[in-house]
Amino acid sequence: MVSLIDAPATRPQGPRPTRGYRVFQVVNALVLTAVVVLTLFPFVNILARSFSGEQEIRSGQVNLIPRGFNLTTYRIVMSDAMFWTNYRNTVVYTIAATAVALALTTCYAYVLSKRQLKGRGLLVAIAVFTMFFNGGLIPNYVLVSSLGLRNTIWAIVLPNAINVFNLLVMKAFFESLPTELEEAAAVDGMGTYGTLWRIVLPLSKAVLATMLLFYAVAFWNSWFPGFLYMDRQELFPVTVYLRNLIAGATGGTDQTASSDAALQIAANIQAVTIVLTMLPILLVYPFIQRFFVSGVMLGAVKG
Amino acid sequence: MVHLSRRQLLAAAGAAAVAGMAGCSDDDPESVDLNEKRAGAMDGYKAGDQFKATEPLKFSIMLLSNQAYPYKPEWPFWAELTKRTNVTLDPVAVPGSDYDQKRSVMVSAGNAPLLIPKTYHPAEEAYIAGGAVLAVSDYTDLMPNYSDKVKRWNLQANLDTYAQEDGKYYLLPGVHEGVWQDYTLAVRTDILSKLGVPMPKTWDDVTTMLREMKKAYPSQYPLSDRWSTPPQPGGNALISIVGQGYGVNSGWSWNPAYWDATAGRFAFTGATDQYRQMLQYLAALVSEKLVDPESFTQTDDNARQKFASGKSFVMCCNAQTLVKEARKDIAKLPGATVAKIPLPMGPMGASLPPDNRLENGLMISRKALQNKNFVAMMQFVDWLWYSDAGQMFARWGVEGETFTGKVEDASFKLDPKVKWSGLNPDAAKDLQVDYGYSNGVFAYGGSTAMLNSQFSKEEKAFQAEMNKRTIRPVPPGRPLTVEEREQATLQEAALRDHVDQQTLKFILGQRPLSEWDAYVAELKGKGLDQYVGTLNKAYERFKGKK
Repeated sequence: MVSLIDAPATRPQGPRPTRGYRVFQVVNALVLTAVVVLTLFPFVNILARSFSGEQEIRSGQVNLIPRGFNLTTYRIVMSDAMFWTNYRNTVVYTIAATAVALALTTCYAYVLSKRQLKGRGLLVAIAVFTMFFNGGLIPNYVLVSSLGLRNTIWAIVLPNAINVFNLLVMKAFFESLPTELEEAAAVDGMGTYGTLWRIVLPLSKAVLATMLLFYAVAFWNSWFPGFLYMDRQELFPVTVYLRNLIAGATGGTDQTASSDAALQIAANIQAVTIVLTMLPILLVYPFIQRFFVSGVMLGAVKG
Repeated sequence: MVHLSRRQLLAAAGAAAVAGMAGCSDDDPESVDLNEKRAGAMDGYKAGDQFKATEPLKFSIMLLSNQAYPYKPEWPFWAELTKRTNVTLDPVAVPGSDYDQKRSVMVSAGNAPLLIPKTYHPAEEAYIAGGAVLAVSDYTDLMPNYSDKVKRWNLQANLDTYAQEDGKYYLLPGVHEGVWQDYTLAVRTDILSKLGVPMPKTWDDVTTMLREMKKAYPSQYPLSDRWSTPPQPGGNALISIVGQGYGVNSGWSWNPAYWDATAGRFAFTGATDQYRQMLQYLAALVSEKLVDPESFTQTDDNARQKFASGKSFVMCCNAQTLVKEARKDIAKLPGATVAKIPLPMGPMGASLPPDNRLENGLMISRKALQNKNFVAMMQFVDWLWYSDAGQMFARWGVEGETFTGKVEDASFKLDPKVKWSGLNPDAAKDLQVDYGYSNGVFAYGGSTAMLNSQFSKEEKAFQAEMNKRTIRPVPPGRPLTVEEREQATLQEAALRDHVDQQTLKFILGQRPLSEWDAYVAELKGKGLDQYVGTLNKAYERFKGKK
C-alpha cells in the first residue's frame, strides 16, 4: 500500500538537505531494509524448503538455500488431481466473489456518499452494526443452508460480498470527489448511472484497485466458508486442501488411541503446496501497483 | 409488490420461530414402532451372520478425510462394501484438520448425516441436551455382534462410564478385547549399547539411562519431547505415560475424576498425591537437565529436528511415528538405531490403566429413528464396525486380493503388492491411499489377534510384553444430570486451567513442590470441593440405581 502515498519522483527543491535529514535517510533506509528482509525471509525459506529433501528439512539444515535439491516433490504434488481441482475452484471463487463484491460495495458506497440521501444514517448504521455484531456460526450456517446455497459457489460469494471496512473506505473516497463534476454531468443531461459509470468510476481507479486487491487477497486466502459450506471435496478451495495438509497433522482431532492420526505429511510436500498456492496472488501485486499511482494522479489533477 | 405492515412482519417472525421450535421437539423413542422401520432389514440377523440388506439402501455418513489418505470415491472399499451389504454410503467429506468444528456445526444445525463416526468421548455429551443424537444403548438388541463382544470381553463396566444420568449412552465406541498400549519412549538403542546401559524397565531406570547419556554428552539434553499442542499442559504424551506409572490420568489422558478405591470415593486428579509424585519425578529430570525444558512448549517439528540431528536421544513415540518418522529422521546419522522400550513402570507396577479398551466411536443422528430403514441401518453398523468379518474387511480388505490367511491363527499375511505402515514398505500400492482400507473412520478396535495382525515383528514383541501386564479395575460410573454437568464443566475448566499452568511451573522448577499445599488450597478456592462433591453425589446415586 506504500505506493498510494508515493509522491512523484522529483528531487526536493530549495535549501540543501540538513545533516539531520541525511542521518534520517540512512537510518530510514536501514530500518526499511531490515523490515524487507524480515518480511521476505519466510517466503524464501519456504521456497528453499520446497526444493529440498525431507531429511534435510527435518534435520533443520534448510534456511535460504535448498539442500538435497530435487524437483520430485513438485512432480508429486502437481500430479494430484484433487489439488488442481481445488486450485481451479479457488480461481473461480476468487474471480466471481471479487467481481460481485466490487460491484455491490461500489453501489452501496456510492449511495452512502450522497449527503442528500434520506435515511443515509440508517443505511450506514445497518452496515456498521454488522461490523460489531453477528448472528454467530450456527445461525449463519442454518441461514445459508435454508437458502439452498450449500455446495454452491454462492455460499462463498454472497455472505462475504460486502466488507464494511472496505465499504467505509470507498464511501470516504467518493465523498472526497468534487460534487461540481457530478453537477456538471447532470447539467449536460447525464443520469445517475451515467454519472457513476462515466465520471465517478474512471476517477476512482485508485480506490477500485485497492478494493480489488483487498477482496481478491481475502477471497484467495479464505478457507472457512469453503470448509463450512462445501460437503464434497471436489468443491473445496485449495486453501482447505492446504490446511488439511498442514494443520491436520497437528490438529486436535486425533490425539488419543488410534495412532493412525499422528501421521505427518512430509515437510517438503507442505512447502511445495504453500509455494504453489501463494504464487498467483503474489503475482497480482505488481500489476495492480500501476493503478494506484495513476489513480492518485488523476484525482490530484482534477481535484 | 406486497407491502407488509410492521405487525404482519412481527407475526410472521413469531410463526417462523414457533415452527423452528416445533422442529426441535422430542420424538419419544418409546413411541417409535420399530416394526415399521424394518424395510431392508434381515430377519433373524445374529452374531457372525453376513449382513446383506434385502433391498438397496443408502445411508449418509460424515467422513473424516485424513490428510495422509484423502477420501477418494473410487476406493475399492466402497464398491466392495456395497457388493457385500447392499448398502451404499453417501459421505460428506470433512477435512481432518477441522473435523470437530464441522461436526459441531452440522449436528447443531440439524444437518448432520445419519452416521457420525470419529467421535471421542465425552464429545458426544455436548449434543445430548439438544436431542440431536440417538441414545444408542436403547437399541443394542438390534446389534448382535456388538452385544456379543461387550459380553464376551466384559466391557459393561467400561460402558457404564459412558452412561448419562438417564442411564443411557449416546456413543457406540470402538471396543478392544485387550488393553492396547501404543505410546511409550523411543530410545536410540545404538547409544544404549555404546554406553553399555541396559534397556530401562522402570521410570527410575529411565533416570539412570538419561544420566548416563548426559555424562557422555554433557552439552545436550538426552530427552526432548514432542506433542505439546494445547490445551493440555505440554509434553502431553510424556506426562501421560509417566502418569500411568503413578496411576493418574494426566497429560492428554487427563481425566479430572480420580477413583480412590480404598476410600470408595472420587477425588480430583490434579490434587492427588499420585499427581504430586508424577510432577516430582519430571521436575527432577528437568532440574538435572536430563529433559529439555522446551519439551513442553516446542512444536513437533522442532522436537523431531533435535532427534534427527542427534541432539536428543529419547522422545515419546507410537508404533507409527517410530517407523514413519523417528526411524526415517535418523536415517542419515551413521549407525543410529531407534526402538520402542517397554512402557516404563512406576509405583503401580506391571499394570495398565483400564480406560483405553474403548476407543473413539460412532454417534447416530436422532432423525435416523424416523427412517424406515432404521433397523437395517443398525444391523449394517453392527456388521461393519463390530462383526469379525466386517472388521477384517474394513481393516485388511478382501481375502486373496489384499491379504491371505487368518488373523486368528496368525497365518495372516498382507499381499506383497500392498504396503501399510511398516509392512511391505517397498510395495507399489498403499492400502489406505489406493484402496481405502484401514481407514481410521471404519477400522479400529477388535480382538487382540486382529490388533496383532497389523503389527510388525518388533511391535508384536512390544505388545507381547505389554499383554503380560494386568489391567486395573474400571472406576465406577458417575453420570451427572444436565444441570450438574453444566456446573461441573465450568468448575472443571477453571480447575484444569490452573492445574495445567501449575503443572508446567512445577515441572520446569519455576515453582517448588514444597508449595504443593498452597497449590491445593488454590484449587479449593476454584471450587475443588464442590466439584468433587458433585462427582461423589452422582456416584452414590448411580450406585443406588444399579
